[in-house]
Amino acid sequence: MADLQPEHIVRSYAQELAALRDRMTQMGGLVEAQVAAAAAAVVQQDSDAATRAVEQDPAVDALEREVEGQVIRMLALRQPMAQDLRQIVASLKITAGLERIGDYAANVAKRSIVLAQFSLPFSLSGIAHMLRLVQENLKLVVDAIGENDVEKATQVWRSDQAVDDIYNAIFRELVTYMMEDPRNITPCTHLLFIAKNLERIGDHATNIAETVYYAVTGDSLPEARPKGDSSAYAVVRARG
Amino acid sequence: MDMSMTENATAGSRSNAPATAATTEAPRIAISGLDFYYGTNKALKSVSVEFPDRKVTGMIGPSGCGKSTLLRVLNRMYDLYPGQRAEGKVMMDGDNIIDPGMDLNVLRSRVGMVFQKPTPFPMSIYDNIAFGVKLHERLSKAQMNERVEWSLTRAALWPEVKDRLSASAAGLSGGQQQRLCIARTIATRPEVILLDEPTSALDPISTLRVEELIDELKRDFTIVIVTHNMQQAARCADQVAFFYLGELVEVAPAAQMFTAPKQKRTQEYITGRFG
Repeated sequence: MADLQPEHIVRSYAQELAALRDRMTQMGGLVEAQVAAAAAAVVQQDSDAATRAVEQDPAVDALEREVEGQVIRMLALRQPMAQDLRQIVASLKITAGLERIGDYAANVAKRSIVLAQFSLPFSLSGIAHMLRLVQENLKLVVDAIGENDVEKATQVWRSDQAVDDIYNAIFRELVTYMMEDPRNITPCTHLLFIAKNLERIGDHATNIAETVYYAVTGDSLPEARPKGDSSAYAVVRARG
Repeated sequence: MDMSMTENATAGSRSNAPATAATTEAPRIAISGLDFYYGTNKALKSVSVEFPDRKVTGMIGPSGCGKSTLLRVLNRMYDLYPGQRAEGKVMMDGDNIIDPGMDLNVLRSRVGMVFQKPTPFPMSIYDNIAFGVKLHERLSKAQMNERVEWSLTRAALWPEVKDRLSASAAGLSGGQQQRLCIARTIATRPEVILLDEPTSALDPISTLRVEELIDELKRDFTIVIVTHNMQQAARCADQVAFFYLGELVEVAPAAQMFTAPKQKRTQEYITGRFG
């Protein structure tokens, strides 16, 4: 759904709202790049990419602070109503979510540096698949933010299930490798944390999608969302 | 304000409270299919809305949308002008207010009105209050004193004027004059108070005092307020009605109206994107 509202009577107000959205998409772009760099760091053992992912964090944080300042100023000076109010408050939550995603990406990148020191006797196809899914969702949600697109937001909200499913599969797979050979424990533990971080990125993307949906429509998505992280209850017993 | 006065005022408010039903669900006024004409010009088009008992209803909309017209219907003020007429139902306690047989003196004692500009009578502060009461009730001197004090206390003006009740009302500040007008309105113990942009001529602090007063008064009175100030409607009203070109576009609880209105026209108006 595109944003078909008529222009504001006060032009500077419309400009401030547009600037707020620009900041958010800019931040979304940075975070996307961060996650892409983290993905390259893990899958291709690209240490330069790992460094890039970590070094981008301060820029993301600075944008978040900038949006926060702008939101407080607009609340005080414009006394926004209805959709404007929802958009302005939503931008606070959205940027907080993006900032967290950036942190998780940096953490994934840091772990990839440790991981690169091990030669792994198994493939990373599961993690690579999860990285692709998470990146797709992140791109979609950043588009939803920039275009106020409720359909894209709903799509992100629905597809988090797939991320959770693959996270559960990876969890079981990694535990199995650790049981097979104790030398796998260190790299597999890092991979578990990487997978967990990716799963958290998926959750934040979903939260952002929910916020976008509310900001645009004024309604909330249903309480129960498709949810599939069952690793908290998973028990893997040694065969024997 | 000392304790005895507070108690007195509280007791007064209890015994003097209008005899409204205890149920809060029943509307004090229920309007259905109301049309209003200024000569041939139709200013209200089939308006249906309810004003819940002891709640504040805010009416918003651009100039000429019909909100003040509706207020003028509620106490039949339009009767003063030839060529103005209303059709439909405006029910209060089983009576249709716009019925030609309605006793206007009784109606106007039950539905009080406060205007945009403070309109104190050119008499003393005391007489401003007592004047209207004398038209409706025969009170002893002591009873009248009590009523004046009660009204001024409820209107949050008593502490400021109690030592100069015989002074001219013209000497009060704008904000004090407006609170005097509110005191004068509640002195006849109406059931409904109509406020037509009551703070548009007041400074911000006086405005807040009047808003605080509205909050206080809704415990005993049903209040209908017309305001151009959206934040004021958001602060004061329990439910808000948005009018446009003589039609009621949307009526909703204030919190919903200002965060997520249902109608596109409402949304555009309250966010400042109108036409």
